[in-house]
Amino acid sequence: MWNYIVGYLIIKVDGLSLEKFINLAVNNGIFLWGIKRSGYTSMTACISIGGFKRLKGIVRKVRCRVRIVDKRGLPFLLLGLRRRKMLLVGLLAFLIILYGLSSFIWTVEVEGNAKVPEEKLLDVLAKYGIKPGAFKKGLDISAIENRLIIDVPDIWWASIQLKGTKAIVKVVEAVQPPPMVDKNIPCNIVASKDGIIYEMVVLEGRPMVKEGDTVKKGQLLVSGVIEDPETKTTRLVHAMAQVTARTWYEGQAVCYLDKGLTRRTGRKVVHRFIDIGRWVVEYQKEDIPFKHYEMEEKRVPFFGEGRFFPVTMVVREYYEVEMLPASASLQQLKEIAQRKAEEDVNKKIPSNTKIVDKRVKYDMIEGKGVKATVYVEVLEDIALEQKITVE
Amino acid sequence: MRKKLREVKTAVSEMFELPKDIMLNLPRISMIGNNQMLVENHRGVIEYTPEKIRLNSTIGVIRVEGEDMDLKNIAADDVMITGQIKRVEF
Repeated sequence: MWNYIVGYLIIKVDGLSLEKFINLAVNNGIFLWGIKRSGYTSMTACISIGGFKRLKGIVRKVRCRVRIVDKRGLPFLLLGLRRRKMLLVGLLAFLIILYGLSSFIWTVEVEGNAKVPEEKLLDVLAKYGIKPGAFKKGLDISAIENRLIIDVPDIWWASIQLKGTKAIVKVVEAVQPPPMVDKNIPCNIVASKDGIIYEMVVLEGRPMVKEGDTVKKGQLLVSGVIEDPETKTTRLVHAMAQVTARTWYEGQAVCYLDKGLTRRTGRKVVHRFIDIGRWVVEYQKEDIPFKHYEMEEKRVPFFGEGRFFPVTMVVREYYEVEMLPASASLQQLKEIAQRKAEEDVNKKIPSNTKIVDKRVKYDMIEGKGVKATVYVEVLEDIALEQKITVE
Repeated sequence: MRKKLREVKTAVSEMFELPKDIMLNLPRISMIGNNQMLVENHRGVIEYTPEKIRLNSTIGVIRVEGEDMDLKNIAADDVMITGQIKRVEF
């Protein structure tokens, strides 16, 4: 390895007393390796560049001929490069550009924000110098983190990490404390939705319904008016209860049989272009051999949303499709309608609920399509505080 | 006189369990299988062909016979032989 860095020569020695040559070289401190005898009067060996220069005296004494067969190692490689200056220039330019471009921020990623819009954070970050195209050096990261927290009051904590050309901004949003329940104000608990009471935990107040009862929206569940049975005096309290009820949500979707159903066969053709503003470079294009097909287009912009470098890679995928027969398509139609209906109902269900049951109903619309209705039964808290207005 | 010195040296090295190659200036030969042989403390190459190598040493000529033998490394006092070694004679 070291020999490779310093460089060495492969020499061919011709002469009668080669052993003498070896002994003399070794005694003079010239290191030889890889000695191979190729014939009676000749051999090849490896020798360092410095050793080769000192070989002259020995050659004269032993009367043999030394020829250089090959030059190996880095110095000779570099020597060869000297004749190809442009290659060297290109290499240098590549390294400089690579280093130069890597000292900029090219993408900014924001993680951890749910309520605060990403655009707002990006705007604030851009104000303090973290934006695509910004120079990385000289950014005071911890100061920007503090600035971000001050400027966006909905954020409690922020951390900015520069990973290569990517700036990863992690934020933790402020969690608003739940509104204080003023216990001095008397109130009732009413139902916020229709449902069947599944479980009731009354902390304070007089329950007006029991588990298993069907309640309507607005119906009184727990009363804050307590009558003492002995003294016949009434007392107003702040009713508190957890009322879990079974409620229903319904989602609908209609799927029409207008143009017949199709199914992808799995075969596809991909076209790729590069879109540079007004020019379109098509570099992968072939004929579409399908009779029926559908097209999906994906646009992948270089460097984010084409903020300053309007080059987009466009991928068009052509999928071959086949027409499905009517009987098969009915089953498919039902599935699609059900899927759509489920999407519809999932939008309506609040997040802190538990789904207990799900039912699907299909209605045929004669000659036109299928209507799917999904009923979802969930458990949720329907307790709602309502102030008592004292007359 | 010289012979006596040698005898004393042998006795001393045995008494103190010192390595003999250092005390008596003997060649140290180590082999790995039959395809590598390192001779330290040699006194020069007398003959070298791919089939036969003769090395000079303080105890006389060391003859190595084999096939396709190369002198992989050679320095002032050690030589490494690689190839198929078949016989080593003193």
